[in-house]
Amino acid sequence: MILQTTEIGSTIQATILPQEANLQHAEMFKEEMITIIANGAKLVIVSFENVTYIDSSFLGSLVVALKYAMPRNVDIYLVSLKPDVKNLLTLIRMDKVFKIFKDYKQAMETINS
Amino acid sequence: MKQNPDHFKFVFNSRQEDIPAVLERCQNYINQNAGENPVDISLLSKVKWVITELLTNAVKHSGADECLLKMDVRNAQLVIEKEDNGTPLSLHDSDNEKQIAWPIQADQTIEDFQIYHNGMDSLRVSIDNYNLATFYTEELPESQMPALLLDTSEHFGLLIITKASDEFIYEYNNESGMSKFRVTFNLNA
Repeated sequence: MILQTTEIGSTIQATILPQEANLQHAEMFKEEMITIIANGAKLVIVSFENVTYIDSSFLGSLVVALKYAMPRNVDIYLVSLKPDVKNLLTLIRMDKVFKIFKDYKQAMETINS
Repeated sequence: MKQNPDHFKFVFNSRQEDIPAVLERCQNYINQNAGENPVDISLLSKVKWVITELLTNAVKHSGADECLLKMDVRNAQLVIEKEDNGTPLSLHDSDNEKQIAWPIQADQTIEDFQIYHNGMDSLRVSIDNYNLATFYTEELPESQMPALLLDTSEHFGLLIITKASDEFIYEYNNESGMSKFRVTFNLNA
């Protein structure tokens, strides 16, 4: 299991458990994300609070999950990214396709406002 | 960083689970050779991204049981090399919709082509003397929705290495069948 999830209505808070978001975990992460979306979530908030580094394979799975989510009108937000992880996302422009928030609280405030 | 006559050399056995330990050894090498001027933390991050992608490439694509990772500091540059005798590089030429694989034959006229673009960055490669490929990026006019979502592909790794470093080169040796990736960081930039 890569994601620890909490369901709040149609929102799923999904915390990535491994510190290393890499090739070893990329396929499982993609499968778990797709299952969450297929099960009816309208918003998946993915927390990177445990992640110290990420590689291109895991980033690829993240984009696959977003591609699966978009035609189903499901949003994916990213929260609690360490600076190193956020800088890498920014380097390859992924900050342009994902909404990024400081933490779960800030992300939840946007849907409650 | 001071000049270190003892190059860092490490045989990586193409096991994904070994990558964190290799990263730690590389980071220790850099810190030990930093001398009185500690290496900028953002540079260290970039070096870590590059080594991660080079080794992940070895695991996913080279087909070789092992590769040699080398690091060296010379002339105010940090040079990282990864060598293996596995499957040579193969790239998709998105300009002409065809696959370019090394070794490139003498009768092929290939100079420069786009591998991938995300709507904002074009990842391109320039080829000299058939077997030397230099990766570079060109910034495209910003679009509302980056084409990032059109292609989730294997190109993220190449894009990361190209954008994080100052020079990224692939070289294929026809005689030995050895593939070498060389990444350079300018330390005084």
